Amino acid sequence: MNKDHAASLYAVLELAPGAGLRDVQNAYLRLRRLYADQSIVLEPLEEEFTADRRREILAEVEAAYQKLLVVLHAETPKAEALLPDDGAAGTGPDETPAMVFGGLALRKIRERLNIDLNEISRELKLRLELLRSIEEERFEALPEETYLKSHLRSYARYLGLKPEKIVEDYLGRYRARAKK
Amino acid sequence: MSPTAKVQREGEIWAVGGGKGGTGKTFLTSSLGSFLAKKGRKVVLVDMDIGGANLHSFFGIDRPQRSLTSFFEKGSSLQDILVRTDLDNLTLITGDIHSIASDTITFSQKLKLFRQILKINAQNVLIDLGAGSHLNTLDAFLIADKMVVVLVPEVIAIENMYHFIKNALFRKVKAVLKEYGFKEIVQHVWDRRQEFGIRNLKELIDHLKGSFSFIGTILDNELSRFRVALILNMVRNKQDIFLGTAVKSVLLKYLGVGIEYVGYVEYNDAVWRSVRERKPFMLNYTATAGAANIAAVGDNLLKGGEIVLPGGLG
Ligand SMILES: Nc1ncnc2c1ncn2[C@@H]1O[C@H](COP(=O)(O)OP(=O)(O)OP(=O)(O)O)[C@@H](O)[C@H]1O
Ligand SMILES: [Mg+2]
Repeated sequence: MNKDHAASLYAVLELAPGAGLRDVQNAYLRLRRLYADQSIVLEPLEEEFTADRRREILAEVEAAYQKLLVVLHAETPKAEALLPDDGAAGTGPDETPAMVFGGLALRKIRERLNIDLNEISRELKLRLELLRSIEEERFEALPEETYLKSHLRSYARYLGLKPEKIVEDYLGRYRARAKK
Repeated sequence: MSPTAKVQREGEIWAVGGGKGGTGKTFLTSSLGSFLAKKGRKVVLVDMDIGGANLHSFFGIDRPQRSLTSFFEKGSSLQDILVRTDLDNLTLITGDIHSIASDTITFSQKLKLFRQILKINAQNVLIDLGAGSHLNTLDAFLIADKMVVVLVPEVIAIENMYHFIKNALFRKVKAVLKEYGFKEIVQHVWDRRQEFGIRNLKELIDHLKGSFSFIGTILDNELSRFRVALILNMVRNKQDIFLGTAVKSVLLKYLGVGIEYVGYVEYNDAVWRSVRERKPFMLNYTATAGAANIAAVGDNLLKGGEIVLPGGLG
């Protein structure tokens, strides 16, 4: 990834080049909320910010964020790298490391973002114990799949991760373990 | 002189506007001025709210003996009409509600006023603007080194502010191109905007830049300096504070205008108390949260900094 390209990704998130993971995360969440929701800031400009235009902005923000996550992930020192569980990383054709998100990966991402489990518990109204069980993959302590799925979705969203990918990966591990 | 000419001066001019009435422009002009004066800087405040002048009352002055009226009507110089306040380093150029209306000021009077404002011998000159987007107001806004807008967290104020900044930007674009002798082009393109598929000011600017490379160079250069500082006033809760960040993003996308969110001032009962008691807020309510907010805003304006907000969901 060349410098100009990275700078343009940061610009989409309205950040100065070189901003850290936490800033990237916050900018992403903030912009996504701003252009997805109704607000008094956009209400006077309904004609400018049509549904189409907002979708366009959201898509740009999403794409820039996903790419930056990969860049920042690659730059993270090995020792604390957000390694996928089971070390299942491979390099895809598009040079995106193929990660599998399990409990450990989720915890590491959360810790790198400096987000406290208590904060998530408070904001999402989920029991602390449940969140711990998710991260520690204590599958026996987790609720049945439908509930787990919705909890995982909100947790992933809070961390600014794509919920679909997280749910798929995590449930994959959950089901595999259940079979044993 | 054109409204865009910026001479190298030692002092800095800050103009405080924003479109909507009653958002706290005058209160903040008086308080930021006091903040600067208390730091030992030499400050002059100018009441440009012609027709609605009341800056003096924030300093407990009822009816100033001298005002812009004598500048306009008797040809006094600004130096002659300075009014002293309780703060040693801070003097006022007051307006007079009883004599002049904005529309009666001639073009040459306006230029003379701006010329003298640019020459005021002070480290900071703060201009208090009236509500609305009157051309005199926009021009005074555009002569400033720091263009400050005051916003309160409500939809009408936000709408008026977008309108105000858009008008200021349009006026600036026209003034810049006029200076280079391309006065007709902007209006011409704008009049035929449907033909060119231009829907808004940003697209107009993009079109001008794309069609005429010399205009692109001029505008890039001149408009990169079109930066606005935003103060959010009468903030009542944590969510309100983040509106400043949201407005910043929207203005960038809507007009391509960069703004600095320099801070917020919370809604504070001490403000109206100080107004009622006719005592300068920054002299008598130093221990309030409002005064601390104003100091933080003042520091950011001085240093070119921005407010640092905690991340998270806000
Ligand atoms: N942070 C604040 N907390 C409480 N009251 C405030 C605050 N800021 C301003 N006010 C009050 O709001 C009223 C309007 O303020 P001010 O006159 O400064 O507004 P303005 O924008 O200059 O209005 P105009 O557009 O009419 O010139 C004043 O009575 C002032 O006391
Ligand atoms: Mg006023």
